[in-house]
Amino acid sequence: MKQVWFAAMVGILAIVAIGTLAPGTGWAVDRAEAEETARLLAKLLKAGRLVIEQNQQLIDDQHKGDKGFTPEVFEQQLVQEFRQQTGIDLLKIQSTPASIAIPPLAKELLPAFVLASKEVVRDAQVVINQRGIGYKNFIPATYGSQAAARFSKQSHVRLKQTTLEPRNPKNEPDDYEASVLKWLSGRPRAEAYVSELTDHGQTLRVIMPIYYVTTCLTCHGEPKGDLDISGYPKEGHREGDLAGAITVTTPLSLR
Amino acid sequence: MVDYNRSSVLSMSHTEDEALTARAHETGTTAPVTRLMGQWATLLLIALMVQGCGLVVDAVQLVWPIATNELDAICARGQVRVGMAVEPFQPFVFPAIYTDEGLRVTGLDVELVREISSALSQRCGSTNPIVPTLHLIRFRNLFLELTEGNLDLFVSSISANVPAPGRVGLAYSNPYFDAGGIGGITARPEVAEQIGEYLRRAATSAADANVMTGAFSGLTVAVQEGTSAQFYAESNLTGITLVLCDSLPAAFESQNPPIDLILGKQPVLDYTVRRVRKDWELLRLESGKPLFLTREQYAIVTDAENYRLRRFLNDLLFRLDDSGRLAKMRQRWLEEDYAYPRRAATEGLPFAAKKMPQHYDQGQCRLARNRSR
Repeated sequence: MKQVWFAAMVGILAIVAIGTLAPGTGWAVDRAEAEETARLLAKLLKAGRLVIEQNQQLIDDQHKGDKGFTPEVFEQQLVQEFRQQTGIDLLKIQSTPASIAIPPLAKELLPAFVLASKEVVRDAQVVINQRGIGYKNFIPATYGSQAAARFSKQSHVRLKQTTLEPRNPKNEPDDYEASVLKWLSGRPRAEAYVSELTDHGQTLRVIMPIYYVTTCLTCHGEPKGDLDISGYPKEGHREGDLAGAITVTTPLSLR
Repeated sequence: MVDYNRSSVLSMSHTEDEALTARAHETGTTAPVTRLMGQWATLLLIALMVQGCGLVVDAVQLVWPIATNELDAICARGQVRVGMAVEPFQPFVFPAIYTDEGLRVTGLDVELVREISSALSQRCGSTNPIVPTLHLIRFRNLFLELTEGNLDLFVSSISANVPAPGRVGLAYSNPYFDAGGIGGITARPEVAEQIGEYLRRAATSAADANVMTGAFSGLTVAVQEGTSAQFYAESNLTGITLVLCDSLPAAFESQNPPIDLILGKQPVLDYTVRRVRKDWELLRLESGKPLFLTREQYAIVTDAENYRLRRFLNDLLFRLDDSGRLAKMRQRWLEEDYAYPRRAATEGLPFAAKKMPQHYDQGQCRLARNRSR
């Protein structure tokens, strides 16, 4: 009995000690680290969307059953795309040389996002591999929503796709996101992103814009009001218009 | 502390058991044992009385009714296991697609399943709603899975009361859709013209199988295997080359042999040629009305022994019909202009992906064997 009591006390003390020491031992995330991690996460989600877009014709091929677009193939293409955009090799992220500065938080979260994305592609296999069915609604937006949701569920960092005209109510921007999106929509296209501390400096918010490219316009282009293949009215956008943004919300208090 | 408490509870239970046993001994009775023997004796007596009458199962139900009450089983499970065809029967069951919420399936039959689950939740009276677990499986396997007890019910625009092999032990609810039937579509205008001309000359009812045999004579006709269209064609149409396909999409793609005509569920074919395959046309009478070879009603399928579930479904269907809800459901799926991916995202139901064939394949078509031409 005494042994059990002693073990329990040691456990509780250990938890209290870790909690007390946390800020001084790297549990707090500084803004620079959080910002770079958020930027890379947003880039990774964008890369994932691009991979889906590049495979859209294959996914919607009604004459082909097994498409071979497995989670592993998706991962391979995602890693390649991300490396092209950032120079970071996700397969060797833990052993990346010091010359390429990757924050410790990013080393933890980027592979977690890849895993979440692979789960999404794995789940979608039964739909992707249907033969005789063309459009399956597995598109950059639906992939992005699910990958972001799964990642956010497992992490304290929240990833979200948002836009001023959301088709999915869950992508509705909050007040802060709406104000940034309105500000971005009045500016020319740029690869820049917005980063700001909110909640009295407790939370970092990073917003990375997404712009329409030609392939998006099949569903979001003209003529405005016509229904697209998924049944939503087209928004009448043109190439280069602001499509929305990927937002990353990181609490700075705890990792 | 914890160990001490736990041992206290255990010793208390032990004492209560002892107390109960002691009370039984004190009174000089063995009440629990006697009660059990009494039940067995009753069962044995009833079994002997009804021996040879095939009523032994009913006798068991008299003694332990709860053990075989399928509605209580659903309540206890918190889930109703619903089968649906993986092959599309739109607008009753649309192809499974991906949405912002994940994998979803939608259609009139899915909306009906929502109503069934909601009514079951009310009936069960639990704080947790009854969750429909959808199993998307091949049409021909629906019947098998139900008879093996892996499903509580299935829906997929199933034609009620069509006698067919493999359907023994199944029963149908009252219909939820009564404007069904078998119709035809073709991609070749000359075929539509040939059939139309024959019917005009025959100047008789299209429901006359002899007339249809004449009208379709010499054509290569595709049907989905296991559906009522196959049974109709086998029973009534001679002089055709009958082709059995695994699905409607397979019939559309069949090149060897090329298909002149597809027979199937008229509302499904009608929806398909209006929205999906506009290169095919519905067979019509001179009046412009769709050609029906026979009329059918669509119903929910359950195990024949599940009387309570069937009565429950019939009551629900009556209420839905009486309130006008069923008519609204039919109207919004069959007549309104919509795109199903959007409805799948907002009101579709998730399904058990592991039960769905990993690579759903529309399948193939093949010539029916042993047919007299």
